[in-house]
Amino acid sequence: MSDPNFASTTRRTILYFILVGTFALISFRLFQMQILQQESYEEKSADNSIKGIEQIPLRGVFLDRNRKVIVSNIPAYTLRITPADYDRKLNKFLESVLEADSGYIDRILFNNRIYSKYIPIRIKRGIDFRVVSWLEENSEYLHGVDYVVEMQRGYPAGIMGSHMFGYTKEISPQQLGKNKEFYKPGDYVGHNGIEKTYEELLRGIKGYNYILVDSKRKEIGKYKDGTDDVSSVKGHDLLLSIDAEVQRVAEQEFNGKNGAVVAIEPSTGEILALVSAPEYDLSQFAYVTTKDFLNQLYSDKDKPMFNRATMSVKPPGSTFKLLAAVAALDMGVITKETTIYCGGGFTFGRFFKCHGGSHGSLNVVHAIEKSCNTFFYNLIYKIGIDKWHEYAKKFGFSTKSGIDIGEEVAGLIPNSKYYEKIYGQNWPRSIMASLGIGQGEVNVSPLQLAMYVSLIANNGKGFTPHIVKGYIDDNTKQLVPFKFNEIDLGIKQEAFDIVKEGMYLVVQGSGTATRTRIEGINIGGKTGTAQNPHGKDHAVFVCFAPFENPKIAIAVVVENVGFGGTHAAPIAKKMIEAYLLKDKIKPKEEIVPEIREKIIGALFEN
Amino acid sequence: MRIDYKLDDKFDFGLFVPAIILICLGLLAIYSATINHPTASGNFQKQLVWAVVALGIFFITYSIPTSSFHYIASPMYLFSLLLLVAVLVLGRKVSGAKSWLDLGAFGFQPSEIAKIGTILLLASFLSRRNAKIDSFFDILIALTIGLVPVGLILLEPDMGTSIVFMGMILTIIFWKGISLFSLFVVLSPGFVAIFALFGVYYFIGAMALVVITLFIFKKDVFFSGSIFALNLGAGFFTDYVYSALSPHQQKRILSFIDPMADPLGSGYNAIQAKVAIGSGGLFGKGFLNGNQTQLQFIPEQWTDFIYCVIGEEFGFIGSIIVVGLFFFLFIRLLRVASVAKDEFMSLVLIGILSVYFIHFLINIGMTLGILPVIGIPLPFVSYGGSSLLVNIFMLGIAANIYRTRKNYA
Repeated sequence: MSDPNFASTTRRTILYFILVGTFALISFRLFQMQILQQESYEEKSADNSIKGIEQIPLRGVFLDRNRKVIVSNIPAYTLRITPADYDRKLNKFLESVLEADSGYIDRILFNNRIYSKYIPIRIKRGIDFRVVSWLEENSEYLHGVDYVVEMQRGYPAGIMGSHMFGYTKEISPQQLGKNKEFYKPGDYVGHNGIEKTYEELLRGIKGYNYILVDSKRKEIGKYKDGTDDVSSVKGHDLLLSIDAEVQRVAEQEFNGKNGAVVAIEPSTGEILALVSAPEYDLSQFAYVTTKDFLNQLYSDKDKPMFNRATMSVKPPGSTFKLLAAVAALDMGVITKETTIYCGGGFTFGRFFKCHGGSHGSLNVVHAIEKSCNTFFYNLIYKIGIDKWHEYAKKFGFSTKSGIDIGEEVAGLIPNSKYYEKIYGQNWPRSIMASLGIGQGEVNVSPLQLAMYVSLIANNGKGFTPHIVKGYIDDNTKQLVPFKFNEIDLGIKQEAFDIVKEGMYLVVQGSGTATRTRIEGINIGGKTGTAQNPHGKDHAVFVCFAPFENPKIAIAVVVENVGFGGTHAAPIAKKMIEAYLLKDKIKPKEEIVPEIREKIIGALFEN
Repeated sequence: MRIDYKLDDKFDFGLFVPAIILICLGLLAIYSATINHPTASGNFQKQLVWAVVALGIFFITYSIPTSSFHYIASPMYLFSLLLLVAVLVLGRKVSGAKSWLDLGAFGFQPSEIAKIGTILLLASFLSRRNAKIDSFFDILIALTIGLVPVGLILLEPDMGTSIVFMGMILTIIFWKGISLFSLFVVLSPGFVAIFALFGVYYFIGAMALVVITLFIFKKDVFFSGSIFALNLGAGFFTDYVYSALSPHQQKRILSFIDPMADPLGSGYNAIQAKVAIGSGGLFGKGFLNGNQTQLQFIPEQWTDFIYCVIGEEFGFIGSIIVVGLFFFLFIRLLRVASVAKDEFMSLVLIGILSVYFIHFLINIGMTLGILPVIGIPLPFVSYGGSSLLVNIFMLGIAANIYRTRKNYA
């Protein structure tokens, strides 16, 4: 028997009203949210409350060819201020502790006024440990002031390498426009040198910590307990072809001088050392660079920021005689037996003097040994200016080498067209005479000279010069090598043999650089003195060693000092000693990079 | 005698079509919520398979003899209890509740199966020939049948499903014809217990309401006194249980009472859900174009917060269509429950309706910010195999009852 109330009309009606009521309520609520309040929700949706905090990865370090760390990351303290919690009355104290000028803090806060008051603003990077202790001691009075440990570049090997390594700098708006997907304002990017060329390998991958923030962007906690956080991936370590010891010796030798030296391994095109003097202190750039510091660098009359090794082009002087010799021998316009008589000069329209009186009758080998001008005055007319230009081009002159540090100047090697342009069809052919001895309108860089002597040493074969061999795979610790273009000049072996015989005699015979001799190592070289209308001559020296199996080729240019054999050659000698006799000079010391990285990693996390 | 029915007369398209459309909309929303998700991107395919399986189950349930539901009531109920005990021992923890049993590759929630068992046994018990809903023992037994699974589910603890069960029990005894006073007796201890959780003053206030109601009904002093004592006991018992809980469990109960007390937990979801729906506007941001959804602001959106995907990407129009489909389905179930001549069938139908409706109300209510966040899925739409299969099985029962409604026995 059914209950009288079972499924009664009343009960059905009650349920019906509940259903209709619910439907009405939900419909109304949807209308209210999606139609009436849509704009406000739209805003909230756009300005949502999860924020990713970037974790800047450790930048890859630079290792020299013996895997010694030459550019590293070192922890440094950065003072920050969170404007919302900060009282400007503290400015005075802080500025005196930071040794900053009055108004320094206000200026930085003003520059960052567009950001939320709850975002900490970097006031000064690289603060002293003394300041950190002071902050710790007085933290209860210093609301809104804190410090964080950040990484910056360190140069632990005692070498400058300023023009090679380059430095990092806060990203410019133009760069930012092109790389929005990776960079944010305030990020540091490689500004020049290797730091710039290999930026993409060095920078690593950013990590993100997700936090929840309220409408004022104030942190209220971790999002999903940090389970969605992405840790940063360290940048790749670069293996450089530089030999830290050779580089250090070269930098030391250039102390107080202006000029440049480039040393190359002939068989690979690997740069063993590259110095442009004066250098500048890269570690100064690791901190916030002050305007004063930059102005000082830019206004220095010695132009320390200018990379002389790749950008300073000058006449190479007598070192260029090797080019004419190679060209003439390869073309067959002379042989080893061809002799030319030097009576102390050469007449073509006017008289061109040879140095040191008369050399008598000599062949190409002895002409190189004695650096006889007369021989080469004659030779260039046998070769012809356009053929000579063609050979110069082959060796890489008047062309950018493609070295992996960007800034480079092509230089100038004239040909007949060049002179026709200036003087017309009947340009005075007497101009050619001085080209043969590397004077006049011949402009080459130390890097080009180094490549030139390297190619001679290796019989016309080699690779595009480069500083970075490859990067270290983080898992296998193995080198991932880069590929470089192979060079083959296609010049007769005989030509190189004869020219090198002359170069041998320059050092080992009775030539112009006999003081460069090193016991037990045979060296081939050629001195040069580039005439300088503005002052003392520039000393130039190119060489390679050991003569029998060249492992290092060097070009040295010392500005405003005089004769190449006296001022440039001794620098090359020291570098050869450092490179080829290093086992005798100094025991190897090496810090295993992984352990060092671990130490830094631990420091960084705290 | 053979009656030549039209197809319409045997097959209720009014039940079948809305459910199928809801499943399809659910698949679209699940696709959108998981396509860019690192770990859940396979969920669409899984749900598609479940949907096909569900279709088969619907037609099987639709075709079997209607009387079989009567026979399976007790065994199914006991089997459900067994599973509910098993899950407490062997279960897998998902977001704080031990509610999943793993069977090889896939898992299921025993509490879903328990819904069917409980509806069938409760309907079966109350449709006995001599059943008297206002008799003390019948109420006691009915409540026991209903509350044993509720107790087991609370132990998991799964507050959402427990609430569904309690609502379902209430609806069934209401449909059966319980008197207003009995309803008060049944409900009051529950209210007092909940109020007691909020604090002493709430507890005293609730007790005062009980006393006033007892005066209005004017029952004898002894009976009224017993009811009062029962309520008082319920309040103290809650307090005792609460203080015996670990701080961690207490926190969960507190956040259930006041979600905003835990802005990073359920409160966070509530805010993000509202932002998702509200920002959808009239036409929505377009399929796969909702930033709240695609950027995964709401964790596991394909389950309990699936309605936000529809609200954000299909806007007011899409949201209203979903609500309308549910409304149509509910009205249809209520109508079939009214025309079913068999009391058992009618009670089963009203039980099914109540399960769907409470899920619908709590789920959409929480996404719209009018109810606290209680994690239960939206029937047919949310991702999840066991929930979909149980819902479609119940729909099959309803369609079956409709098919045989004219075969008077």
